Amino acid sequence: MVRSRHWFLGLAAVAILSASGTSPGRHVTNALSTSAARVRHVFVIILENKNYSDTFGSSPQDPYLRQTLVPMGALLTQYYGTGHVSLDNYIALISGQAPTRDTADDCLPGLVGSVGNFNDVVQTGTAALGQVIATGGCVYGNRIKTLVDQMSAAGLSWKGYMEDMGNDPMRESPTCGHPQIGIGTDHTNAAEAPSVAVPQGDAYATRHNPFVYFHSIIDAPSCREHVVNLNELPADLAGAAATPNLVFITPNLCNDGHDGAGTGAPNTLCADGRPGGLTSADAFLQAWVPRILGSPAYRKDGLLIITFDESNYTQSVHTASTGQRIVDITFPGETCCHQQPGPNLSGVRPATTTVLNSPQLVENLVIQGFGGDRIGAVLLSPFIVPGSTSDTQYNHYSLLRSLEDIFHLSHLGYAADDPRHGYTLDTVGEDQNIFEHPSHPH
Amino acid sequence: MALSAAVLVVKVFCLAPLAGAASLSTAAVGKLIFFDTSLSASGQMACASCHSPAHAYGPPDGAAVRRGGAHLNQPGLRAVPSLRYVLNRTPQWNAPYVASAAERVIEGAEPPVGGYGWDGRFNTLRSQAEFPLLAPFEMGNTNPEQLVMRLARAPYAAQFRAAFGADILVNPRRAYAKVLEALERFELTDPSLHPYSSRFDDYLDGKATLSPGQMHGLELFDDPNGGNCASCHLDKKGADGSHPLFTDYQFEALGVPRNPEIPANRNAAYFDEGLCGPLRTDQRRQSAYCGLFKTPTLRNVAARAVFFHNGRFHDLRQVLEFYVRRDTSPDRWYPTGGSGGVIKFDDLPTALRTNVDVIDAPLTRRAGESPVWNEADIDDVLAFLETLTDRDVKSAARR
Repeated sequence: MVRSRHWFLGLAAVAILSASGTSPGRHVTNALSTSAARVRHVFVIILENKNYSDTFGSSPQDPYLRQTLVPMGALLTQYYGTGHVSLDNYIALISGQAPTRDTADDCLPGLVGSVGNFNDVVQTGTAALGQVIATGGCVYGNRIKTLVDQMSAAGLSWKGYMEDMGNDPMRESPTCGHPQIGIGTDHTNAAEAPSVAVPQGDAYATRHNPFVYFHSIIDAPSCREHVVNLNELPADLAGAAATPNLVFITPNLCNDGHDGAGTGAPNTLCADGRPGGLTSADAFLQAWVPRILGSPAYRKDGLLIITFDESNYTQSVHTASTGQRIVDITFPGETCCHQQPGPNLSGVRPATTTVLNSPQLVENLVIQGFGGDRIGAVLLSPFIVPGSTSDTQYNHYSLLRSLEDIFHLSHLGYAADDPRHGYTLDTVGEDQNIFEHPSHPH
Repeated sequence: MALSAAVLVVKVFCLAPLAGAASLSTAAVGKLIFFDTSLSASGQMACASCHSPAHAYGPPDGAAVRRGGAHLNQPGLRAVPSLRYVLNRTPQWNAPYVASAAERVIEGAEPPVGGYGWDGRFNTLRSQAEFPLLAPFEMGNTNPEQLVMRLARAPYAAQFRAAFGADILVNPRRAYAKVLEALERFELTDPSLHPYSSRFDDYLDGKATLSPGQMHGLELFDDPNGGNCASCHLDKKGADGSHPLFTDYQFEALGVPRNPEIPANRNAAYFDEGLCGPLRTDQRRQSAYCGLFKTPTLRNVAARAVFFHNGRFHDLRQVLEFYVRRDTSPDRWYPTGGSGGVIKFDDLPTALRTNVDVIDAPLTRRAGESPVWNEADIDDVLAFLETLTDRDVKSAARR
């Protein structure tokens, strides 16, 4: 497949504007060369932890995604996550920031980072393209801006729809839900099964909600209106005027495929007893995608993007001369798009971490690169050629850049070009393999 | 008793007119049942006999296990837990499975969570209620029909009929289901199960202060590198300001020493392995779960006189000493084997002792090392735990 052609109208100016990473809402006039220029409502659904070769290849668990949605839209075959193991991908997608030592490991305490948990990023400097240099930490200071800060400043609307958030109001708030900064453990790391008090259970995971990792968002009272439970979406889809320009959807830990093997086998289930894996993710898509595609906003000028945060691992087992069983869980950590590691990953990526060393068993986590490996993405839009495919390489930084171009915003962090180092990104709005020509009648 | 005979007896008692019988809520009927000793084979045991309201719906004394049955001479197998606070929020039993092995490794495979009972084998209170009503070492009814027959003779039988239908008692199966439902409603809704009247509750509401010793005890309780108690016995307010319940409902193997006070333990081949049996049967093949028991609430713990699933300890100080000295002074807790070595975790079969937690503080130390707390620290933690006692709770009688 031929790579998409690019027209860099105005993009040099964009790069200069965004180099500091702190210029939210600058309205730029980068005109897209395809009918993506007509998109005004973007819907994003992020699923979890699946290989491209499974999702769009061998898995029997996602027939709706593969056999129904892919033929209706465009398949991006070379879409990559930007890191392992989750949170850093979400943060890259909305801010262009590379990981800190803690966000690279889901802000779990005591793994490699020096701060851990839901604590502030300890910034010690700023590198090229506005990258935060930090000793660790998870919640970025108010000066670090995101896509949605840009949108708000430009008069565009947005909402994050987090499934299950606040189902258990003791666990987290139903709006803008996150742990208290600096206080103890994030109890949303594991799903909560249903109880009498919480009949639906609560499988919201803070680390899959990127918005609450930025003071620029959580310090504003408006966070309560912007970051809400998914159950608000049906009302917001009822009329185009009620539908935000950006609809960012995070399913719960079962419906995003994070939990459960998807087979339904005992002891491989989600906390609420459902199969999880791609099976539950596919069921989630089957429930929600038709509602999105039927909404006035989508029919008028919508674009739906379905992708994953990162890819999965390979596992090898052998017996050492000591008699210990050695289990290596390996992420290739492959990148695309000239991805940069950022300023904080020295000694963290690549790395082999021995997480268990007993007389019987050694478990090694081997991360060979700093990328998130190949995941793929599906795009649907009235402006997309049904059944189209693009082999152009994209990652979360290029998706951020793509959304910024659609909304005529400057480029944050690694979504910006760096001409000094030949760093450029493709954007989906310029991908003529998937989008109609702008003159094509809608 | 055969079903037909039971129905006959029930008909004799229960087809009388209902004139004058006050209509009670399901929960109110459940309360009458909860306190009714006449529903047991002995005529002397009610739910409240073991789950004493004056003792936070926990045991009234320090017996490791209680005796039930027709002659109150059949010993149970486990200590009585408190019913206060935890029932509404106990999650269904589950063993969450993270699809990515890498995340399982990084974040730690989560242990099973939830369910009612020390082994979480009941997902509803109505199913849990069946066990004590029918267990031969508890209330000792031989079958549901016998229970309903006893209910038909109870002084509140008319109210039961008024609540569930005039002919309810002639259908023992339906009546039995209503008994279970009523108990469940009582246990879930009665305010006496959720008073939030401890000094610590007042402290959280800004209505009281803690003494310096109590505050220090709280700090020791929280310290992840010290007592690390709060990692399982959650003690922070919820996001909505609700007060903590001091449990995460997760399962844990602590290696509590074998308790010779439990008659079943006289059989050297008998082991209570919690999640994998013998009372629970559906997880028997999950050897990694053997020896795990559900984390109890610590609310009102200072008023108890019996601790852990096997009632091995009867003094809270001793419990705290066990936590911090289990590994530094194992000879204090466990017997010595033939070769002179200490047999740690002796209440589990040898092959299952690797399931015991040795990776979470304070359970990580080695013999001869200093414990994380000294005696003064333990005094302060005890002082803090005493702030968790509700105002209406009496201390359980010591043995």
